[in-house]
Amino acid sequence: MLTVRIGQHSDRGRKEVNQDFHGATIPEGPPLSSKGVAVALADGIGSSAVSRAAAEVAVRALLEDYYCTSEAWSVRKSVECVLAATNAWLHSRTQQSPFRNDMDRGYVCTLSAVVLKGTTAHVFHVGDSRVYRLQGGVLEPLTLEHRVWISREESYLARAMGFNAQVEIDYHALPAEEGDIFVLATDGVHEHIAARDVIAAVDSAADDLDAAARAIAAKALDQGSDDNLTVQVVRIESLPERESHGLHERLMHLPAPPILAPREVIDGWRIVREIHGSPRSHIYLAVDTRTGAAAVIKTPSIDRREDAGYLERFLMEEWVARRIDSAHVLKPVEPARERTCQYVVSEYVDGQTLAQWMIDHPRPDLDSVRRIVEQVARGLQAMHRLEMLHQDLRPENIMIDGHGTVKIIDFGAVSVAGLSEMRGAPESEGVLGTEQYTAPEYFLGEAGTPQSDLFSLGVIAYQMLSGRLPYGADVPRSRTRKAQAKLRYRSVLGGDRDVPAWIDEVLRRALHPSPQKRYEALSEFVHDLRHPNPRLTGRPATLPLIERDELRFWKVVSAMLALALFLMVFVHFGH
Amino acid sequence: MAYLVPSEFVVKMVDAGESKIFMSTRDTLVRAYMAGAILALAAWFAVTINVNTGQPLLGAVLFPVGFCMLYLLGFDLLTGVFVLAPLALWDKRPGVTLKGVLRNWGLVFAGNFAGAFTVAVLMAVYVTYGYSTEPNAVGKAISAIGENRTLGYAKYGAAGMLTLFVRGMLCNWMVSTGVVGAMISTHVSGKVIAMWMPIMLFFYMVFEHSVVNMFLFPSGLLLGAHYTWMDYFLWNEIPTVLGNLVGGLAFTGLTLYATHVKTLPRREAIRRVA
Repeated sequence: MLTVRIGQHSDRGRKEVNQDFHGATIPEGPPLSSKGVAVALADGIGSSAVSRAAAEVAVRALLEDYYCTSEAWSVRKSVECVLAATNAWLHSRTQQSPFRNDMDRGYVCTLSAVVLKGTTAHVFHVGDSRVYRLQGGVLEPLTLEHRVWISREESYLARAMGFNAQVEIDYHALPAEEGDIFVLATDGVHEHIAARDVIAAVDSAADDLDAAARAIAAKALDQGSDDNLTVQVVRIESLPERESHGLHERLMHLPAPPILAPREVIDGWRIVREIHGSPRSHIYLAVDTRTGAAAVIKTPSIDRREDAGYLERFLMEEWVARRIDSAHVLKPVEPARERTCQYVVSEYVDGQTLAQWMIDHPRPDLDSVRRIVEQVARGLQAMHRLEMLHQDLRPENIMIDGHGTVKIIDFGAVSVAGLSEMRGAPESEGVLGTEQYTAPEYFLGEAGTPQSDLFSLGVIAYQMLSGRLPYGADVPRSRTRKAQAKLRYRSVLGGDRDVPAWIDEVLRRALHPSPQKRYEALSEFVHDLRHPNPRLTGRPATLPLIERDELRFWKVVSAMLALALFLMVFVHFGH
Repeated sequence: MAYLVPSEFVVKMVDAGESKIFMSTRDTLVRAYMAGAILALAAWFAVTINVNTGQPLLGAVLFPVGFCMLYLLGFDLLTGVFVLAPLALWDKRPGVTLKGVLRNWGLVFAGNFAGAFTVAVLMAVYVTYGYSTEPNAVGKAISAIGENRTLGYAKYGAAGMLTLFVRGMLCNWMVSTGVVGAMISTHVSGKVIAMWMPIMLFFYMVFEHSVVNMFLFPSGLLLGAHYTWMDYFLWNEIPTVLGNLVGGLAFTGLTLYATHVKTLPRREAIRRVA
C-alpha cells in the first residue's frame, strides 16, 4: 500500500499578506490506489490583490476535482483537465474584473503539484515555484522556472495559471522509490536556500516533517527572503506491490465455474443454452429465475483459468463495461445476488456477429458498411474518451441486433490508462488481439494508441468491402521496423465490386502501417467515408522520392556524393 | 479439471493452425530448425539404446523424450503443421490462403531438414572420431537402417512404394494424435503422458516419420552406406512426406474437424444468436 508522510509550512514572511496557498490530500480506501496522493502549492503574484484568491482556487480545485475524475483516466489527463478548467475560470474572472488589461493585477498564480499513484510520481508545474526530489542524499530540482529576465535583477513570469485562455503545463513522470522525498517550495524559499540547507533540515527533523518545512522556511527568511514562504515536504514511506491493481481481489479467489449445462441454475440464473464456447471463454444465454429477464453469462475457459493475467482481464470486462455509457457498447448487468463463482453477466443482444453478417452479406453496399463502421467508431470513441483502448476489435466482437444497432461486445483485451498506472509495471503481455486485425505497432511490442483501434476498424471496413485483408497475412509476419516498411497496401478496388476510388484512399490512410500517418481521429475517418476528401484523392500517383521513401532518398544522395568524391580523388591523383 | 472440453480444444487447434500461417519467416525457420535437431537427437538416442541393449522396445519407450521437449519448447515439426495449418483454411479464417499453408509447409520442411542434417553431421563426427576410424556400432546400425528402408522398399517396386506410403500414414496418425493430446491437457505432466503413448507406439512399430528420416538417412549417407541421395528421396523421403500428410489429415485433422467443429449443433446456435 502507498503510505506517505507530509510536512507543510506557510508563512507571510516579510510581506503583509500571505498570497501563497498549499494543500495535500491523502484519500482513504479505494481512491488511494485508483487516484493516489496529491500535493500542491500555488503562489499568487505580488502585484495583484486578488492573487491570494487565485492561488487558493487553483490548489483547492486541483485537490478536490482531481478525485472526481474517472478512474479510467491517467493522472496526466485528469490533472490537465482540472487545471485547464481552473485556468479558464481564473482567466475569465480577470476578464470580468476592472483590470482586464493589466495581467499583473488579475487572477494569476503559479502552480506546482505532485501526484503519487502506484509506483510513479507525476509532477505538474507552471510558474516559478519549484519541485525538488531528494534521493540518496542528492537534491535535484525537477522543474524549471517559467520566467523571462529583462535585466540581471528584474524578471517576470512567462507562464502562469490565469494568464491566458489556455495554459501549457509542464509534466513529467518519474518512478518513485521508498524513501524518496519531494520538496515543493515557492520562490520566496527556493531562491534563498542552498541544497545543503534543505538536506540538513530534512535529516535533522527525522519523522517530524512539519518541523523540517518550518526549518527550511526559517532558513530562507534568515538569508534575506522578502517574499511569502511556503514549503511542503513529502516522504514516501511505502509503495504498493507492483503486480496487481487488486480490483478483483475477491472475485479472483472465487472458484471457477464448471462447464454449465442447460437448465442448470447458478446464483439464481437459469442457463438456457450455450451460445459459444472457445478456448477464450464460454458464453451462455441465461434467464433470471425471479424476473425472467434474459442475460448473457460468460465464464472463463478451462484452458486459461490458471493464467492470472487472463483472469484479471476477464473480470476486468465488467469493470470496463460499467464505465462506458454508449449505445454501441455492451452493457453489463448489475448482479443482484452474491456471486459464488467466477463469471460476468451482461445484457443479451439478440442478433448476429459481424463475422456472420459478412458471410450473409458477401457483397454489401457501401452504405451498409458505412452504417456499421460509424456505429463501431462511436463505441470506440466512448472508450477512447475514457482513455481506454479496445485492442481486440474483430468481427466476432461486434454484434448487430435486429434493429441494425451495432455493439462492441468483448473487452477482454482493453487497456485502461488509469489502471495501468496503478499496476506500476508496464504491461508486457504480448499481442492480445487477433492477428489479422491487430495494428502493426503491437507486433513491434509498442504500446497501443487510439490509432491502433482505428487500424482494426479499417481492416474490418476493408474486409467488408472486398472480402480480403489489406495486407494479406503480412502484418503479423512483419515483426521488425524494416519488415514493416516493406508492407504494401493492396487496393480495395478491383474484382467485381463497385467501390468508389476515393474510398480506397480513405482506407489506405486509415490502414497506414505507421500510426502517425493514419487519421488522427476516428471522426475524421468516419467523415471521409461519407465525403470525398479532395486532399486524399488529389494525391498524385508519383510523389517526389523524398516523400515516398525518405530513407531511399538519402541513400541515393549519399551514393552520389560518394561517387563525386571518388571522381575527385581519381582526378586529383590520376595525373 | 486438467483437460479441455472439445469445444475448447478444437478451436484451439484451429487457432494454432492460424498462428502458424501468420508466423514470420524467421520464426518459422528457427522453430522448425530446432524441432528437427531435437527430434534427430532423440532418434540417435533411441538407436543407441537399441544397439546397447539389443531390445527395440526400450528405445521406443524412451524415444518420446525428444518429442516432449520440442513440443514444450514450442517448436514445430512438419508432421504437426500438416494437420494444424489446413484447419485454419477449412475454417475460412480471414487471410488464410492455400498459398499461406504451402509456404508454411515449405519453410517447416526446410527448417526441419536443416536441423536434422546438422545433428547428422555432428553424429557422424562423434561415431567416427572425426572420420579417423570406422563408424562404431551405433553408426553401423544407422547405416543398416538406411539401407533397409530405401533399397529394401525399392526391391518390391510399386508394392514397396505403397508400403512406404502406408507406414507414413500410420505414423502421422499417431504423431498428430500426440499433438492433439498435448493440447487437450492443461498441465505439463498431462501433456507429456498424452504425447508419450502414441509416439512410443509409432517408433516401436517402425512407421515412417518424415523428420526422423531426415536424420537417419543423411547420417547413413555421411557414414558411407550403400545407397544414394536419389534413393533416399525417391524411395523414402518423398513417399513418407506424402503418407504423413494424408495420414495426419485423414485420421486426425479431418475427423476432429468434422465431428467437433463442423457438425456441432451448437455451431448453428452461434451463427444465429451470438
